[in-house]
Amino acid sequence: MSGQAVQLVRRTDDSVVEATLYDGMRPEDLLLVERAWSPERLRLYEQLLQKGVRRDEWPESLHWDWSKKAPELRFLQATGFGIVYDRSWEGVMLTKTAAHVARLAEDKGKPLVYVDYLEVAPWNWRVLPLELHGRFKGIGSVLFREAVKQSIDEGFHGRVGLHALPQAETYYEKVCGMTAIARDPIKQNLLYFEFSRGRAQKFLEEGGAT
Amino acid sequence: MAGKRTMTLNLTGAEMDALEDMSKRKDLSKTAVIRQALRLYQAVDTRLAAGEKLVFEDELEKKKAEVVVL
Repeated sequence: MSGQAVQLVRRTDDSVVEATLYDGMRPEDLLLVERAWSPERLRLYEQLLQKGVRRDEWPESLHWDWSKKAPELRFLQATGFGIVYDRSWEGVMLTKTAAHVARLAEDKGKPLVYVDYLEVAPWNWRVLPLELHGRFKGIGSVLFREAVKQSIDEGFHGRVGLHALPQAETYYEKVCGMTAIARDPIKQNLLYFEFSRGRAQKFLEEGGAT
Repeated sequence: MAGKRTMTLNLTGAEMDALEDMSKRKDLSKTAVIRQALRLYQAVDTRLAAGEKLVFEDELEKKKAEVVVL
């Protein structure tokens, strides 16, 4: 794995901390991520049940399991990125660089970086029904920006595509400036978003979702 | 993307024409086209080896064809 310094913001006082963004995560790294995150997922699950929070207000990735995604990393087309602060994985992203092509008219049929999964650590989630606001913010933005950079490094000119969970739709559309294309019946009817070559360039010039 | 290695690739004229055409249509460098091809080949081959099938489907014509990969 290779690492680079990135900045996260502590929610309690808006102070900036320096973390490390790694690319080239290995399958065993994802096993360690899930080992660290699953007790927190379980704790949140129990609290949500205890408080009688409606299911549609639960964090939508509560059931995810990174250990099941680990085998994906045996493929050349898959890359794992993760952010570490104080020896703790704070966010992880899995991208794919083959078998996905752009759907936007201006880029139709051209390759892009597809963000297969992106998740921040459960202790960084804002779970308002439980009055939890999360430890750090800015993790998703750092990872998304890295997907755009990977697209440029791959020669895809910043083109990125992803299917968003409903709770993240506003973020990708309003904060990142992605274009909503359509709901996808073969992906649990999730809304598919895309970043065009032109939009990606502007995104990076403007500092990108910070 | 650290640790890259360089190799020389010998192609026939027809293969080079196809590579250049693909490079233009996909808005990619020729190196990127080759890398994409390798990624796809590996993904397909691994899944076929695991017993899955590769199928092309034409929704309009209601046709499906299994692709055999060597």
